[in-house]
Amino acid sequence: MQMESCSPVQIDLTSRTSRPFGPLRGNAADAARSLIASARLAWAIEGNWAEPFFLLVYLIIRPLAFLGLFLAVLSIGGALNPASIGFVVVGQAIFQIVGAAMQGPTHALLDDRERYRTIRYIFATPSSLLPVSIGRALVKALIAAISAVIVIGVGALIGMPMRAGGPDLPLLLVVMTLGPASIVGLGVALGAVCVQLRNDAWGYPQAVAGSVFLLCGAIFPLDTLPRALQLIGAALPMTWWIEGVRRALLGTASPGLLGELSTPLLLLVLTVGTVLITLAAPRLFRIGIDRAREKGFLDRSTAS
Amino acid sequence: MSAAGVSKDLHARIYAETEWSLSHKLRHAAQSVVGRAYPRIFGMSREPSWLFFDLVFPTLGMCSFVFLLRSRGADEAWISATILASALLTFWTSVIWMMAGQFRWERDSGNMTLYITAPVGLGSIALGMAVGGAVGMAFRAGIIILGGSLLFGAQYEIREPLLLALTMLLGIAAMNALGVCLAAVFLVSGREADHLGDLLNEPMQLLGGLFAPVRSLGIFGLLAIGILPLAPAADAMRQLALPQLAATGLLPVPVELGILAVMFVVFSLLSHASLAYIERRGRADGKLLTRAD
Repeated sequence: MQMESCSPVQIDLTSRTSRPFGPLRGNAADAARSLIASARLAWAIEGNWAEPFFLLVYLIIRPLAFLGLFLAVLSIGGALNPASIGFVVVGQAIFQIVGAAMQGPTHALLDDRERYRTIRYIFATPSSLLPVSIGRALVKALIAAISAVIVIGVGALIGMPMRAGGPDLPLLLVVMTLGPASIVGLGVALGAVCVQLRNDAWGYPQAVAGSVFLLCGAIFPLDTLPRALQLIGAALPMTWWIEGVRRALLGTASPGLLGELSTPLLLLVLTVGTVLITLAAPRLFRIGIDRAREKGFLDRSTAS
Repeated sequence: MSAAGVSKDLHARIYAETEWSLSHKLRHAAQSVVGRAYPRIFGMSREPSWLFFDLVFPTLGMCSFVFLLRSRGADEAWISATILASALLTFWTSVIWMMAGQFRWERDSGNMTLYITAPVGLGSIALGMAVGGAVGMAFRAGIIILGGSLLFGAQYEIREPLLLALTMLLGIAAMNALGVCLAAVFLVSGREADHLGDLLNEPMQLLGGLFAPVRSLGIFGLLAIGILPLAPAADAMRQLALPQLAATGLLPVPVELGILAVMFVVFSLLSHASLAYIERRGRADGKLLTRAD
């Protein structure tokens, strides 16, 4: 073999756009492979910590306890009516997915950095960090979706009024596609921010999710909030997603201002929000991860 | 000096250094308790983000429940009760994560090695964590009550402040004693520990009647008040701070105080035994310092 016949690959390491080790690289097929591999890994992390029976018990008990807590508080204000039960059940069930998907990318990044200390090896493989983070988040969201289905099933058993003729499947399909996409996008952007942090980076997604829970009308109508908080709530895609699912499952709109909007308008707002987030999130992720690499934040352990 | 002489001197020296008098043991244990409590009380001045997170989660939860109650037009007394419950929740959360989960976290982060090699018993360390945690959380609980009262106009009518203080003290003591028992369980748990912590959160808030009266849970409420310190503590405090809600109490306050005292004694004895057992088994099996993941 003659060495002269091999032409060396020229890589300009000084240019960020041509850097082969960034968080976004390769083609769609590479990204799909990374996503599938990370989803399988996520299932191994999230799903095999216990026997399937205990996992199922865990998936049932916590969300049902949460639901019981809200229904118990709701009953303080007077006898429970089916409409109120339906409102709370759907909001609380869907928020399980919101919380998991928002925390997923951050926890994946921090787990790999702090706990398993594998984030450096991801950079050394052909995988991109973005699909790896999305894959981990999607599995967390999927596991939360199982809890959500269980909560809705229990809600139906305790008198939640379902839509006459069954769920509006086309509407449900559309909102269950747009909603998770927007939440994972927000989670990805949040992950890129949290990886810059030293202290309590784990806590920020939970704090954001808790704030969103308060603002998105998950368990009480948006109108109950002060005016300024109503506006923030209306800007969140989760608000529109939960309202869409309520309409698809219950066949009725929420009480208050949100309920007065038509379903096509609701879908339009959700679509616009999702598109904007989907376009912005990978860019924010890239900026955040590049900065973290330059500052040496990806390779540190904060023992938090 | 002969070999026998050296051996005798060494024996006497080792005996003198290890056979402590009772007063020496007590002084040493007290120093250990203070040493472990210190970072919990003063640590927040070095890490303000801890204070932020300790306050933000119960506050967000509190606001959710308050708005839920307002959307239903509930009596304003229940809003005051919700703020009181959020303050109590800070203690329970600290019991789960800073007491029950602490030894496991120390093991995974490498500090457990120091605890085991130091001439300090795990019991003294646990007591220091409890005292420091309770004092630190009392400060946070005060901020929550003050903030909640300013935000939502909560009002309390405390006719027996000493009884209320005793209820809080007994409740916190019983919760922490339970936390030490659970610490042993967390220590032997693998990756289940995180999920176990989650299961002790919302389900226990429901069973403990924190935000809604435990009376409304029927037989489960009675069961909870017998085994979960959160339940009698929350029920008694609501009766004492909000007399207009006294009718929602499950048992008279003196009875609930008695239950809390019994719980404190029983959980303290159990925690002493469980820590000793886990330490002994952990050393024998070589798993005491082994990371779970």
